[in-house]
Amino acid sequence: MISLQNVSARAGRFELTDITFDVPQGTYGVVIGPAGSGKTTLLETIAGVIRATAGRVLLGGEDLTSAPPERRRLGIVYQHAYLFPHLSVRQNVQYGAASTSDAEEVSSRFGVDALADRSVESLSGGERQLVAIARALAHRPEVLLLDEPFSALDPRTRNIVRRVLRTIYFERRFTVLQVTHDFSEAGLLGDVAIMLDRGRVVQKGDPEEVFRKPASPYIADFLGAENVFAGIAQPIRAEAPDWLAGHEDQFTQYAVAFTTGALTFYALGDVVPGSTHAVIRAEEVSLSVEPSMSSVQNQFRGKIVEIVPGGALSRVTIDASGTPIVAAVTARSVRELGLAVGAEVVAGFKATAVHLC
Amino acid sequence: MTDGNRSGFSAVSRSIITIIVALLASLFLLFIVAPVLGLVSSGGARGLASLATDHELRASLWLTAATATIATILGMIGGTPLAYLLARRPFRGRAVVAALMDLPLVIPHPVAGIALLLVLGRASPIGGVLYQAGMRVAGSSTGIVCAMLFVSAPLYVSAAREAFARVDARYESVARTLGDDAWRAFRRVTLPLSARGLTAAAVVMWARAISEFGAIVILTYNPKVVSVLSYDRFTSYGMTEALPVAAVLVLFALIPLAALRALRAGGPYPSR
Repeated sequence: MISLQNVSARAGRFELTDITFDVPQGTYGVVIGPAGSGKTTLLETIAGVIRATAGRVLLGGEDLTSAPPERRRLGIVYQHAYLFPHLSVRQNVQYGAASTSDAEEVSSRFGVDALADRSVESLSGGERQLVAIARALAHRPEVLLLDEPFSALDPRTRNIVRRVLRTIYFERRFTVLQVTHDFSEAGLLGDVAIMLDRGRVVQKGDPEEVFRKPASPYIADFLGAENVFAGIAQPIRAEAPDWLAGHEDQFTQYAVAFTTGALTFYALGDVVPGSTHAVIRAEEVSLSVEPSMSSVQNQFRGKIVEIVPGGALSRVTIDASGTPIVAAVTARSVRELGLAVGAEVVAGFKATAVHLC
Repeated sequence: MTDGNRSGFSAVSRSIITIIVALLASLFLLFIVAPVLGLVSSGGARGLASLATDHELRASLWLTAATATIATILGMIGGTPLAYLLARRPFRGRAVVAALMDLPLVIPHPVAGIALLLVLGRASPIGGVLYQAGMRVAGSSTGIVCAMLFVSAPLYVSAAREAFARVDARYESVARTLGDDAWRAFRRVTLPLSARGLTAAAVVMWARAISEFGAIVILTYNPKVVSVLSYDRFTSYGMTEALPVAAVLVLFALIPLAALRALRAGGPYPSR
């Protein structure tokens, strides 16, 4: 378990301030944040490489705030691997290994046993990262700290490294804290997401929750939400509106009318009336040629101004009375609906898809 | 638009500038190399031949090598931890310590000799205690070592500091998380990775030590190191007698220079 209680730390001129979060034993935590948000400083503070200037760092329930790194029973893997260049691959994995058999086992699991006698300088980026993870795991850490370990890898190698790491993680159930600037990593891997910005935790919780309900427009934007609107929120009425029929038990929040530009749409939220932001994931926006008769409460007619193909999903931007709404639709839907720039369509999304922050 | 036009120079102007730069560089190189080449060509062969017959020169050469080696070892013992601290650990007054270490580089070496004589001479409190303990500093090979150490150790500390700084501190961090305490991580990771730079630093210090004259001549005229011997022969017998000794010293100094080139050709380890 990793538990940080009001931790502050300093690295040069950069400061981490009042960091508090828990990553329960055996779970996978992900720290997300833009470059310069303090992610690596945070990991190094947990590792004891950087001393906390305030607060407490608990690992496995033990207060190790003042303990040196070698007493913390953890492993750290940096983005650039930091393999010892004067040692061979085998010597790197054996460095600090709990036993020779541990080193051999992880070498075999990560497929680096075939590279054992090679110089680390002859390895590719993917191989280096595999060796770095194998080296950290051969030490049998109770906590594994990963500093963007996949970011320098090509997609194929990234998937392989990620899969092997996940397999060992599920077997051993150590606690992992991985930092990334890519939210998809958090969604794929994490049990707990911690959003960091300028040295402070700005949101934490279940990754899905952070993804769906970002605490601020900044976070929403960072997490790739295409539809972030500034506007005015007004509660509609005290009782649940009819479009909530059958879902009342799910919502304790107020029904809200949110006005942005010339559009007004329904939402649910517990924000105070006044200026706020609404976030709608593009995946939650559907497109149709005619208004839908389904449970979609918010429907706006507009003209398609841009279609950006992107693999399985295309991003279609609609100009709805001057407000751009982005929808993520499958390539098949684009074909079937005959979507093209200039065509008139109806963009729809449920009130429950609108997150006010 | 061409690059030349963009920067406002025509091709002819650029050629003229290139010629002027090359000429200045050649003149400068000639200024450095000509006296050395002249010395070696005039006295080199005679100096090497006199090694067989000139007992004083042989003894002086041996004394120079031995005292420079001892000074370098002492410099490494004392200077390595200091260089590491200056490279790795931010502490209050670090800039002051670094500036103090550079002090011997900026004061004239005879002045350094006088300062050392003041502190280590028999009349000084420290020198007096050492003399009582049977260790004479001034006028002994110990004095030569002290003078060499004083003037050349800053070069070692400065180069060793750079050697440590070139090794990314995260190697040590990784070693620490893999169970090494600070000393073990230093010994197993930082030291091997900076070894080439530290060796180069030691070679620089040794080279500087064997060529020292100003501080040594104040502290210990006798026994004579090669630089003092060449000065002594010059003032006593003139240029003809001084030339072979001076040429031998130059040839002697080529050894560390060659070692340094070989070390630098190896290049440092990658930064990560």
